[in-house]
Amino acid sequence: MKVIVDPELCTGHGRCWTNAPEVYTIDDNGYNAVTGVPIDVPPEHEEAARLGARTCPERAISIIEE
Amino acid sequence: MTTTERPQGSDRQVVPAEVSLVDDKAIAESIAKYGRDIYNDFDIDDPVVNEKFHDVLDDLVEKCPVARSNVGEGYYVVARQPLVRHVGQDWKTYSSARGYQPNRPEGLPFLLPEECDPPIHDNWRHALNPFMGPQSVAKFEPVIRQDCNTLIDLFIDRGHCEFVNEFGAKLPGWAFFKNVMGVPIDDLDKLVESVERGTFEPPEDRPKYFAYIFEYLDNYLKERQKQASKGEMVDLIAAGVKYEDGDMAPYEDRLSVLVDMVFGGIATTTYVMADGMRYLAEHPEQRKRLIDNPELIPQAVEEFARVFPPVVALGRAATRDVELCGREIKKDEFVMLCYAASSRDPRVVENPAEINIERETVLHSAFGVGPHRCIGSNLARAELRCVFEEWLKRIPEFSLQEGQEPIYETGILRTMKNLHLVW
Repeated sequence: MKVIVDPELCTGHGRCWTNAPEVYTIDDNGYNAVTGVPIDVPPEHEEAARLGARTCPERAISIIEE
Repeated sequence: MTTTERPQGSDRQVVPAEVSLVDDKAIAESIAKYGRDIYNDFDIDDPVVNEKFHDVLDDLVEKCPVARSNVGEGYYVVARQPLVRHVGQDWKTYSSARGYQPNRPEGLPFLLPEECDPPIHDNWRHALNPFMGPQSVAKFEPVIRQDCNTLIDLFIDRGHCEFVNEFGAKLPGWAFFKNVMGVPIDDLDKLVESVERGTFEPPEDRPKYFAYIFEYLDNYLKERQKQASKGEMVDLIAAGVKYEDGDMAPYEDRLSVLVDMVFGGIATTTYVMADGMRYLAEHPEQRKRLIDNPELIPQAVEEFARVFPPVVALGRAATRDVELCGREIKKDEFVMLCYAASSRDPRVVENPAEINIERETVLHSAFGVGPHRCIGSNLARAELRCVFEEWLKRIPEFSLQEGQEPIYETGILRTMKNLHLVW
């Protein structure tokens, strides 16, 4: 599984990072540091990564199932 | 084979194909229940919105994608989460440059970056954000916790307190001024009162309170400009940011940013705190869950922000004639984004009317949607977490004082005037 964060939609709510800090990283602004490219999600963090996507008020995170 | 799954509501630039027409039965019910047709004749300042707050929000979400108000210049209200998100994100069509509220009182200066669009908005936000990011805020926590205990010390032996004024109105201001802004806390009470009254007094009375805040902060900013930078947010504001045209932001913009930060920093978190505390006073079992399992507190804080939203609705003005769910919105007309309602939309929240402090997925709009997302959201969350953690350690058993019913006030913001607790 991969996730991808839309750089235009992320506005730094930080819910994804709070729920899955192993998957999402933030910059000094508190916005996603990695956007626009797929991020690999190890199986043990899949559930947290999904929760991070579900709690994003902007719907900025897509999940890519492989 | 790769499939891309967006969580529900992937309608990024697509307006939901709903129509705002409400049938006669719903209108008749609204008139019977609220004394007015909230779908075609809404008024956010009507006392009935305060009294029947959750009913009004839920009816708007359920029955009407875009409600209409005829107050003053008139405005529209969107309540469903996908629509609030759509309008909030599409800042080119729904602009903040005409301010965050319709029927703006005369003489009220625009507050930046809240009341402007990119690129100026982004110039300021990029400079201000690092002061309010999660990593910066984490460093404030020891001071916030200490402040919680200093306030509790003042009344714990007495066995009772009026939570709103003795704690809830003070802590956010202390947290913000001490850690972020560097404005002296001695002057805080007067500023807090002015922010409150500038928000809730009748519109014609509001400018004088704003004038006080501007005058105070003008003096303060000029004073700080003369001093060496301490690396605080106020120093960044005093120095200004560079705009797209290469010029530095003019002084009046810098002052406006300072006023905006102060407004946001002290006027809102109090309510989440107070109504959350009321909930715990009245629900001993949930309170015990949090005392025995403090790791649940961050989740409870999210739920409290969802169901006790201090910002009821903020507006955007259309930059062109635009159709939204069958409503013809004219250029310059206001659309209010009802964040309070959107956090109760069953499209994105299961059993939204239920308060569940252990809810796994808490999706809410309490901090707004789109580029204007509350800059203080990380700080507010840290404050709320510290408050509930420290309070429950010191005062695990407490209840509402009998005969002292809390009083609420609602407009574009919601607040509690009092919360009498005993232990």
